Amino acid sequence: MTDIRKSFGSLEVIHGIDLRIAEGSFVVFVGPSGCGKSTLLRMIAGLEEVTDGEIEIKGRNVTDLDPSDRGIAMVFQSYALYPHMSVRENLAFGLKMARTETAEIEARVKAASAILKIDHLLDRRPGQLSGGQRQRVAIGRAIVRKPDVFLFDEPLSNLDAELRVSMRIEIARLHRELGNTMIYVTHDQTEAMTLADRIVVLRDGRVEQEGTPREVYENPANIFVAGFIGSPRMNLLGGTWLGNGRVRVAGSDMSVPIAGEDLQIGDKVSFGARPEHLFVTDGGAGSIPAKVDFAEYLGGTQYLYCQLADGQPLIAEYRSGPAVNAGSTIMLSIDDNKRRLFAADGRRLT
Amino acid sequence: MILSKMNASMSLSRRRRERKAFRAESAYHATGLAIALFFLAPFAITLLASFRHGTEARLPPLPPWPVNGISLDSYRSLDTFGAGVWQHTFNSLLVSLATVALTVAVSVLAGYGFSRYRFPLKNVLFVLIIATLMIPFQSILTPLFIILARLGLNNSLFGLTLVYVTLQLPFSVFMMRNAFDAVPKEIEEAARIDGARDLKLLFRVLMPLVLPGIATVAIFAFLNAWNEFLAALVLLSSNEKYTLPVLMMAVRAGRLGAVNWGAVQAGVAVMTLPCLVVFLLLQRYYMRGLMAGAVK
Repeated sequence: MTDIRKSFGSLEVIHGIDLRIAEGSFVVFVGPSGCGKSTLLRMIAGLEEVTDGEIEIKGRNVTDLDPSDRGIAMVFQSYALYPHMSVRENLAFGLKMARTETAEIEARVKAASAILKIDHLLDRRPGQLSGGQRQRVAIGRAIVRKPDVFLFDEPLSNLDAELRVSMRIEIARLHRELGNTMIYVTHDQTEAMTLADRIVVLRDGRVEQEGTPREVYENPANIFVAGFIGSPRMNLLGGTWLGNGRVRVAGSDMSVPIAGEDLQIGDKVSFGARPEHLFVTDGGAGSIPAKVDFAEYLGGTQYLYCQLADGQPLIAEYRSGPAVNAGSTIMLSIDDNKRRLFAADGRRLT
Repeated sequence: MILSKMNASMSLSRRRRERKAFRAESAYHATGLAIALFFLAPFAITLLASFRHGTEARLPPLPPWPVNGISLDSYRSLDTFGAGVWQHTFNSLLVSLATVALTVAVSVLAGYGFSRYRFPLKNVLFVLIIATLMIPFQSILTPLFIILARLGLNNSLFGLTLVYVTLQLPFSVFMMRNAFDAVPKEIEEAARIDGARDLKLLFRVLMPLVLPGIATVAIFAFLNAWNEFLAALVLLSSNEKYTLPVLMMAVRAGRLGAVNWGAVQAGVAVMTLPCLVVFLLLQRYYMRGLMAGAVK
């Protein structure tokens, strides 16, 4: 994709996106709603016209081609099955439109339904299927086309939690078996982290960061990515730069491993730390007092929702040790290597 | 001992529940039956009366069935009016079916266009089309007559058909636009990815989904064209071209002051039958839940 732009009337929603997606990789677009991830996917599919820029698939410029000529297949959030056709006809429809030979159609439908384990449902109508089965049929309809690129538009968000997990694994398996390029849009972090080879984080029609799940999680490019990826999200605390690698947060001094040449003493900064990098200690240097508002017990772990001295909220993960009760005050220390500092404009400093 | 007592009381309460359910159900069915009878009685009485003997036909209709055996006298005498009942039935059928075909064809395409394409002045145009529903067509009968005359289409069944289609279109276009609006956009997009475009998309994918709308439009077009009287009377002038309602007017007016009630009943029966057939044929497409399973 080269400098992709999209405007609705005078409103530009995609502001020049450049992206190279390696063949055979699984790329996930994530971002808050309205960030343009679905629009971008629909432009790749050819359902949305590109205002400016070019899209190439396998070295072929497809910017002005019809959706059916681009070598893509798409799975919709709402399945979008043809309700008046049986599952078999649903799967075969695209091939029939392309005037594929009957024997070939049958073979491909059979293969696809075997992969997805829907062979016993072929004569049913979509109305007689459960949500998970419908989604399988929708994926099957994509498979029979043998596309260069699979496009998924939030395919699992209509399913219940349990089914979502199993379909997620199914999609990962499918990617391994078929080896096609897959582009997947979601706002679900777990889906993004577990499925992706590479994650593209979008905001307001711009790419904020592109990288492997680990890169995006551990080395967020800016304060937005840091706050968006991860659940619960990274704690971002307002602080003041004191110079010499020191920051004042909620009345406590923290050291951060940077010199901070481009910062002036007294500059506002944001101090970031993920919940799992906070530890409950007995106090001591660099620890920070926090009052526990309430504690969420999840079995293996516990999330402590705290308030700092100046009222800033903070979430800490607490794995072992004596139970912590709401209302008590604890001392928290922060893993030295995991401290992040962001400038007032969102740039990452450490 | 206690156990059997418990059993007894349980079966007692169960029997009470069953009796209550039975009573509720009987009341429900009885009411339904009464309403059905109320609506069906006029049709039954007309149909039965049309099979009376010629002399019996002019007597008061009690009892409402033929007493002296079944006869086709009334139908025979109906056939002596105008150019014969077959000719007029044929005229009516021709006009009605042509109206249905043209109305469905135009309103499907127009509804699809209004629902799915973006073009300048779309909404103004749509409102204009709907607004014509407010004009009583009797008030434009004279201009219509003049236009048809200019086109050389007065006293022609084709001209009458065109008038009926025109009168039918605002409602039908409105109906079809709503029907197409109800089809989820994703289905259309999936079809486009599958390689279906324009007319293929319309006929292979969307048409089956808007069948209930088409059935509604067809039923309305048929009934309105079949029963229309005033335009047919004004725009047609030769005897052998009149449609059934015009014939019925002549039958109802009688000859030399005497009304042949048998012929009137027979005419009503002839006029009712096709409406029933059309409705029974198309009503199953009213079926709800056709879209079930498409999305979500």
